[in-house]
Amino acid sequence: MPLLVSTGMVLALPALAQNEIKIGYNADQSASGAAELGLSGLYGFQAAIEDLNAQGGVLGRKLIGVVRDDAGAPPKSIQNMNELIDNEKVAAVVGPTNSGNALAWLHIPQQKKVPVISHVATATDITARYAKEPQNYIFRVSMVDREQLALLAAYAVKASKSKNVAIIADTTGYGQAATKDLQEILTLHGIKPVGIEKFGPKDTDMTSQLAKLKAAGADMIITGSLADATAQVLKSMEKMDYYPGLLSTWGSINTPLVNIAGPKLAEKTIFAASTTEDASDRAAALHKRLVAKHPNMPAFVSAAQGYDAVMLIAAAIKQAGGTEGPKLQQALESLGAVQGIIKTYEKPFSKEQHEALGVADFHLAQWKDGRVVKLDDAVVKGLTAADLKR
Amino acid sequence: MTAFLQALASGLALGAIYGLIALGFNITYATTKTFNFGQGAFLVPGSLVGVSLLLLAAGKPHFGNLTQAEMTMTAYVLATIASVVVVGAIGVALYYCAIKPFVGAGGLNWVLSTIGFGIIMQNTALAIWGPASIAVPSPLGSEVWRIAGAGIRPQEVLIAVVAVAVMVGLDIVLRKTRFGKALRAVAFNPQAAAIVGINVESIVIAAFVISSALAGLAGILIAPITTASVFIGLGVALKAFSAAIVGGLTSPRGCMLGGFLLGVVEALVGLWRAEMREITIFLLIIIVLVVRPSGLMGARSVEKI
Repeated sequence: MPLLVSTGMVLALPALAQNEIKIGYNADQSASGAAELGLSGLYGFQAAIEDLNAQGGVLGRKLIGVVRDDAGAPPKSIQNMNELIDNEKVAAVVGPTNSGNALAWLHIPQQKKVPVISHVATATDITARYAKEPQNYIFRVSMVDREQLALLAAYAVKASKSKNVAIIADTTGYGQAATKDLQEILTLHGIKPVGIEKFGPKDTDMTSQLAKLKAAGADMIITGSLADATAQVLKSMEKMDYYPGLLSTWGSINTPLVNIAGPKLAEKTIFAASTTEDASDRAAALHKRLVAKHPNMPAFVSAAQGYDAVMLIAAAIKQAGGTEGPKLQQALESLGAVQGIIKTYEKPFSKEQHEALGVADFHLAQWKDGRVVKLDDAVVKGLTAADLKR
Repeated sequence: MTAFLQALASGLALGAIYGLIALGFNITYATTKTFNFGQGAFLVPGSLVGVSLLLLAAGKPHFGNLTQAEMTMTAYVLATIASVVVVGAIGVALYYCAIKPFVGAGGLNWVLSTIGFGIIMQNTALAIWGPASIAVPSPLGSEVWRIAGAGIRPQEVLIAVVAVAVMVGLDIVLRKTRFGKALRAVAFNPQAAAIVGINVESIVIAAFVISSALAGLAGILIAPITTASVFIGLGVALKAFSAAIVGGLTSPRGCMLGGFLLGVVEALVGLWRAEMREITIFLLIIIVLVVRPSGLMGARSVEKI
């Protein structure tokens, strides 16, 4: 009799595990300059799982988030990926924070047939690398570099009175890739930048470079740099009392921009964002709920993206009727309407399209009194689909 | 014209930072013919210790961001003294761990041991403070002073004033005081110095303490400009080392001159082409070394065979 009981328990254990669906989270939450995006993304990821479980889970099964921090290091990120897929048997993974880490492990989920939704990393190649394979397992609910630069360029061209647009970027791979993209996009607008300047990622004085752009008559400058470097560009502008329009990528949504440049100066850059806490009622509600739990939550935008990534995965599991990788991948490519925070996604992905968000979903934002708010000036209102060249 | 003035002002501000750190190379080189190759890593505790004390005093965790209201001149001066003392004390450890086993033994083992000591220290700081940079407000405020259209920040002026004062101080100590004479005696001939009753080891330790303390001072002084972070030191220290080589490792005045020269060259070349800055600086160093091997103001050493 005791034997029977214990056999029953052994049998019950896997049955219990089958009643759960695990979703992995692999992103930098502690180390690199973008870690706060990974941390906010985690809060959104957890909130979505909470909401789904409150509604009884997915397919009657409870969702469990399995969280790993890759500390911004590609080897750690690869190790996390293998562990989440092989040991934890996750149905899908949300992450990472840094594009370099994604590019280091993309082949793993692709080979093991586990869908991934990138909710922070922006490099254009992330979803494109396996686009030609029969099944591409990599999806994204985030900004895409080329797309956000297209929006910045459209704004710059429209807002510039003299059509003298210039580029300033740091010498990292990120800054130089942005410079290349921007030159191509500006060419589509029929504009040749009046100046292209570089600076070291740790430089603190860009007055020499800015003096050249000023001499060239630039009235709109687009930067390709992370938040702390953009803050130094602003501080150098302050030294010279030269304030052309400054446009920057969504890195400026990070708090180092405000902390280093100071709240007043930080208001002088306009940047691309997929959503802000005041963009819609749903966004405002999620923001309120997350801030109540995590008072220091920095970047709401990636929380919204993390939330929506989980919602899309849950919808796909429901549609596929299970968690088998290839079926889940196909379900993701043929989803109907899914309610998210950023928007209601109507058929967000297809065989050819693995980006849930495109330039039409992005808007421009800026810092006001220490908070990120949506920018709605005359230039933004005047932007049409035809202006968004990419 | 404004652009030129701005480049000059920015260059002098940068140069003051290089010069101040370069002085740290001077004092130990003058006594032991060695210096701390990990000097850049010493800037890290210099800035982080001071900033953390200010944060703790404000009732916050030891990392985070300081507001302007929490940065008073008194608090900053106290934090600076604390940084100088702490980093100076690390200088004693540096001497016993990385210099003493090799000094006078010939060879270049001390090069690697000082680099290693710096790396150990930097990674310890990483474990304590993490990699995020801490924004530090200047005690003198963040407004820009304008001179004929060129902008400069009060903190940059403060650095230049402190750097020149330290240089003058070092110059006087080395030339006029008993301690300075003892330092020079040890530098000239340690055996002879020992025979006339100078405690050679304590003089050498003092040199390393002063050198490290200067890095601590530089660290907290530059924090409002560069932010305080574990990764801030290396780039600046390399330029500072270059400044010391150009100006003359053996002369405080030379180190300062080298610093200003490099800063101004960097800013002026930047007006032309930013990517040519490093090329020009290192070409300049090579040219100076060919023409004057001991630097612009360095003492020519006469080696007897």
